[in-house]
This record gives sequence, C-alpha cells and structure tokens, in this order.
Amino acid sequence: MGGTFASLNTALSALQYNRVALDVASGNIANATTEGYARRRVQAESIGAPAQPAMWSRYPVGGGDGVQVAGIDRMTDPLLDVRARREHGNQAYLDIRQSSLERLEAGVGEPGDTGVAAALDDFRAAWHDLANNPGSSAARAQVLAKATTLADAIGIQSRNLEAEAGDQRVRVESDVAEVNTLASDLAATNRSIAIANLNGTDAGILLDKRDQLALRLSELTGATATLRSDGGFDVHVNGVALVVGKDAGALEIASGITPGGGSDGNPVAFQITDTSGTTAVPAGMTGEIGGLADMLNTTLPAYAAGLDAVAQQLADEVNTAHQAGYDLAGNPGTAFFSYNPADPAGSIAVALSDPDLVAASSVAGGVLDGSNATALSGATSADESYQRLVNGLGTEVASARRLAANQEALTQQVDSSREQLSGVSLDEEMVSMLASQRAYEAASRVMTTVDSVLDTLINRTGLVR
Amino acid sequence: MAITRVTQNMISQQSLTSLQGGLAKLATLQEQLSTGRVLNRPSDSPADTTSAMRLRSSLADTVQYGRNASDGNGWLTQIDSALDSAGNGVQRARDLALQGANEGAMGAAAREALASEVDQIRIGMIDTANTTYLGRPVFGGITAGSQAYDASGAYVGTPGAVERTVAEGIVVRVDMEGAVPFGAAGDSVFEHLENLSVALRAGDQAGITAALDDLNADRDQISAARSEIGGRQIRVETSLQQAQDRELALTTQLSEVENADLPKVIVDLQMQQTAYQASLAATARVMQPSLADFLR
Repeated sequence: MGGTFASLNTALSALQYNRVALDVASGNIANATTEGYARRRVQAESIGAPAQPAMWSRYPVGGGDGVQVAGIDRMTDPLLDVRARREHGNQAYLDIRQSSLERLEAGVGEPGDTGVAAALDDFRAAWHDLANNPGSSAARAQVLAKATTLADAIGIQSRNLEAEAGDQRVRVESDVAEVNTLASDLAATNRSIAIANLNGTDAGILLDKRDQLALRLSELTGATATLRSDGGFDVHVNGVALVVGKDAGALEIASGITPGGGSDGNPVAFQITDTSGTTAVPAGMTGEIGGLADMLNTTLPAYAAGLDAVAQQLADEVNTAHQAGYDLAGNPGTAFFSYNPADPAGSIAVALSDPDLVAASSVAGGVLDGSNATALSGATSADESYQRLVNGLGTEVASARRLAANQEALTQQVDSSREQLSGVSLDEEMVSMLASQRAYEAASRVMTTVDSVLDTLINRTGLVR
Repeated sequence: MAITRVTQNMISQQSLTSLQGGLAKLATLQEQLSTGRVLNRPSDSPADTTSAMRLRSSLADTVQYGRNASDGNGWLTQIDSALDSAGNGVQRARDLALQGANEGAMGAAAREALASEVDQIRIGMIDTANTTYLGRPVFGGITAGSQAYDASGAYVGTPGAVERTVAEGIVVRVDMEGAVPFGAAGDSVFEHLENLSVALRAGDQAGITAALDDLNADRDQISAARSEIGGRQIRVETSLQQAQDRELALTTQLSEVENADLPKVIVDLQMQQTAYQASLAATARVMQPSLADFLR
C-alpha cells in the first residue's frame, strides 16, 4: 500500500499507458493499407508488489499500483512468413513460365489459316497443281511462291523464339541487378536492427522493411531466409549465402548471357561473390530468375530444336525427291531448299529462283511429265512432326497454366492466413481507440476525485464555521 | 480454412480476386463468342489441336483431289468427244468404201469424188487425233509439243502417262496414247484411209475390200478405246463426288472440334454476367459499412 499520493500516480500511469495505446491505434489506422506493415499491439502490464514481500521492501520509484507499457508487439508469425516466402518464390517461378510460354504460343498461330501447318498444306497443293499442268510457268511460279511462304512461316517462328529468349535474357539481367540492390538493402537493415536491439529502441519499422526485402528476394530467386540472434535475416539462394548479417554478396551471371544481353551459347548459370570468394549457385533455383533460367536453358531450346528438326526434315525430304526429277529443260533437279545446318529453322529458304528449274518431271528430256511433282506433293512427313511439336507445346502451356493456378490458390491461402494475423482491422482499432479514450477519461476522473478528497482533507478538515 | 479474424484488407483483396476471376471467365467466353471458336490456341486443348491440324490438312488434300479429278475429267471428256468424231469419220469412210466397192455403178469420176472425200476424212481424222486440252495434245503422251501426229499421220508425240491423283493413293491415267485408238505406225487408221483412197482412185477392188476390213478393225478399236475412256471417266467422276462428300464431312468434323457451340456460349456468358453483377453488388455492400458509421 502506498502513501497519500499513490492514487494520483496510479492515475498518471493510466493516462500515460492509454496515450500510448491511442498512439498505437492511430499508427495502425494510418498504415491500414501499407504494404508489408504488420499491425502492432500494445502490451499492458500492471505494476504490482515486489517479487519478494518484506517489511521495508519498496515499490519502484514513481510506482504504486498502476499500469505500464510492457512492450509493443508486432503481430507476425515467423513460421507463416517462411511459408509465404517459399510459396511466393514458387508462384513467381510458375507465373513467369506461364506468361513466357503463352507469348510463345501466341506466335505459333495454330490451329489457323496462317501458320506453318496451313503453309505446308498450300505447298502440297501447289505441287499437285504443277503435276496437273507441268508446262505452265504460272503453276511453277506458284510452287516457288508457296515454298517461300512456308520457309518464311518457319523462319518467323524461329525469330519469335529468338526474340523471346532475348527478352528473357534482358529480364534476367535486370532481375539480377534488383537482387543485388535488395541484398545490400537487407544487409544495411540487418545492421540497423542489430544496433536498435542493442540500444533497446523500437525496431518495428526496420522489421517490416526486413520482411519485405526478404519476401521480394524470395520472389526473385526462391531464396530462403533464416532468423539471426540479433534480429536480422541471413539469406541463402539455393544453399549459397547471399546475405550474412551486415554483409551482402553479389549475385552474378556466371555463363549463358553476355553483358550486352546476347547468348554465349552456354546454359545460363549463376554465382555469388562475397568477401570469402565466388561460389557457383547450383541449378534448380525457383523464383522469377529460376523460371527465366529454366525457360532459357530447357523449354525454349527444346522447342527450337523441334522446329529445327521439322525444317531440316522438310528440306531434306523435298530436296531428295526434287533431285530425283528433271526440270523443264530436262536437266536433273537440284536442291529445292537451302539451309544452314547450324540453324535450319532460321535459315531455311528456297534455293531456286527460276520457275523453269522446278523438277516436275521424272522423265529426262524436257517432256511435260508431272509425276515427280505428284511424288513431291507427298514427299515430306514434316507436317506430322510439326503437329507433334505443336501438341507438345500446347500440353506444356496448359500444364504451366494449371500449375500456376493451383499455386495461386495456395499462395492466396497463405497470404490470407498472414493477413488474418498481421492485417489491420479498422473496426478493431476503432474499438481499442474507444476503450483507451474511456480509460483515459476514467483515469482523469480518478485524479479529480483524489484531488477533491485531498482538498477536503487539507482545506476543510478541522475548520469550524 | 478457418478464418479467425477478418480485416478490411482481406475483404478488399478477396473481392478483387473474385472480381478478377469473374472478369477472366467473361473474357474467355467473350473471346469464344467473338472468334466463334473454342480452339484459339494449342493449349486450349492440345489433343483437339492435333485433330484440327490433321483435319485441316486432310481437308486441303481433299479439295486438291477434287481439283485434280475435275482437271482429269476435262482431259477424259475431250478424249471421249475426239474418239466420237474419229468413230464417225471411220464410219463415213466405211460407207464410202462400200460405195466404191460397188464397182458396176462407179465411173472413174465418181471414184475420184469418193477418194477425195476419203482424203478429207483422213485430214479431219489427223486433226481429231491432235485434239488438245489446255494446249496439250491428249493423244500425245507427255510431249512438250502441240501435236500428237504430223500432217502425214506419223506419230510425233512422246509416249508417257499423264496421270491425276484423284484420292489418297488412287491415280488415274487421263491421256490415251495415240496408238491405242488409231493403231500403231504401219497399221494406223490414217494409213488405212490412205490405202483406201489409193485403191478407190485405182479402182482396185481387192485393195478397197482390204481397206474396208482394216477400217472395220479400226472402228472396233476406236469404240474399245472409247469404252475404256468411259470407264476411267466413271472412276474420276466417282472420285470427284467422293471428294466433295468428304470435304463436307471434314468441314463438319473440323467445325465440331474448333468452333464454339454458340447457344451454349451465349447461355454461359449470360450466367457469367449475372454472377459478375452479383459479385459487384456484394462487393459494394460489404465494403461500404464501417464502425465509424455507428459511433459518434
């Protein structure tokens, strides 16, 4: 039990505590929609008797029964945060894959009247028309025109692939630059958090920033973050340390992309350089960069190889059949398509320019035979290979879309769980504001009451009127 | 998922997500409606895409087979009418030969008249044998020239088959080598006519009779050739009919695979629109109230 003025002090502590509670509520309301903000909750603690009651044991200075701020909690769950980082990393990986594949697919233009399949059909029909009319220079020119259209259609797809790969290489470069900025920001934040912890100042805002930086790093690279004893985060990319305490390493492109954004012919690989040296990051990163690397290393080259095989098959089969025939003048046919074996789809072109050189006849001597043209109309089974290629691409896009949609449901669920814990509820803040306000008013009333009691005691006691 | 604590942010996020989902479904239906196709890209249905590409390819082939058959039919019709007039020519020459063989009534002048008519028939017959279709002599094989026979009745064509692919794996020959209806060199209808003309002029009864026998054989030969052409024409016309039927069947199949079922899409769109409007209305009602409305 305190002295005469103890109740005044108790009321004072209540006024102080409720002002803090109002501050926290107003901070929460102000940041209701701030990205990455975790709501704060003020923890009250009653000031009670000393732990060891004794005759002369004293209450803390300025004490007495009352209330004090035990701390301001940041409402987060480290487990949920870890989960969120992982799911966001996977989500970014699948999203980038889906969008890139969809762009590629849009460029294919199948099934339709303008794609490679339609050009192949037209090409076949042109040979039939020539077989019907081997002497007509119009039919011959038509074969060359349709063949050029076909070669162009294949070439356009090949260039689309190149452009897509080029875009992604540029994207990898800018993502890597962003990762390095984030890593050094996180290292600086780690340092500030350690200092704040030593000083005992509130690190809440720094922790918000730390969580946000780590989440973005996970989105970009699928990195994992582990909590340090000093409150900071250590970040590892696929097992290789990127940020350790106040020190940040640099993520670098080890191979696959030239500084100008071109390809150096090797698979895309990454390394991390820090003060202890350079370590290669094992393949299999997730996140945006992992998705881009997968597209560049596996998916795009596989489709390009399939397209190359189609182009090569078309050119070889048509050339073989064409060389078995004779042109209008009766000379043996030459190669019909030309291509560079290093890049068949990108370089396929019609080798003939003179319509008379089309070898429609299987009889030498300049007669009007069309049987080789008939043979050429059925010479190639490239259309079947192409159908398989398109089918494979379609399946891959559909699967990427499904996976991304599933992952999105999962990510949303995790985000929603986090929001349940960390999100600001305006109603709740309103209620706690109201409670603080009332408590503040009540404490003021306590003060007034004590004051008037003392007034009675000091000014009126013992006076006789 | 047990929701323990709901915040304004959660509500707005969830509203946004479901509005977006509703809009995305609307956009898909809108695309199907405006393109009239359910198959707009391979990933819409990889298996159907392969079917569609195969059907398109078969359709293009079938159309082409139809064109080939029409062209072949043109050749065969031309040959048929040439053989018809050749048959008439031989028939007329036979009549003349029979007249000439009637020796009692014939003077030299009359026989000369008969002989010159036979000569005319022979010239007409050579013209008939040089009948062309789109500039190519139908009896000349694969010759690059414009004639199958020269003015003397000698064969100048190049033997070789002119063929049309009228269906997958079905090839029909659409020309006829001159020797088949008109006889080989040394035994051709032109030489028989020439012999008849010479025999008529000379009043050589034995020669006329021999020529008459030859012409009978020629007549049979021409009508045999004509019936062969008729047989081929039936094959080509059947193929043409089949190609047209198949084109229709393939177009129907392709449309089943590729095209949107419009009534279904429209009903779906209507339902989706209703759902979207409902979620808009729900969003408007849920996001509006706040405790601030009720506290003073």
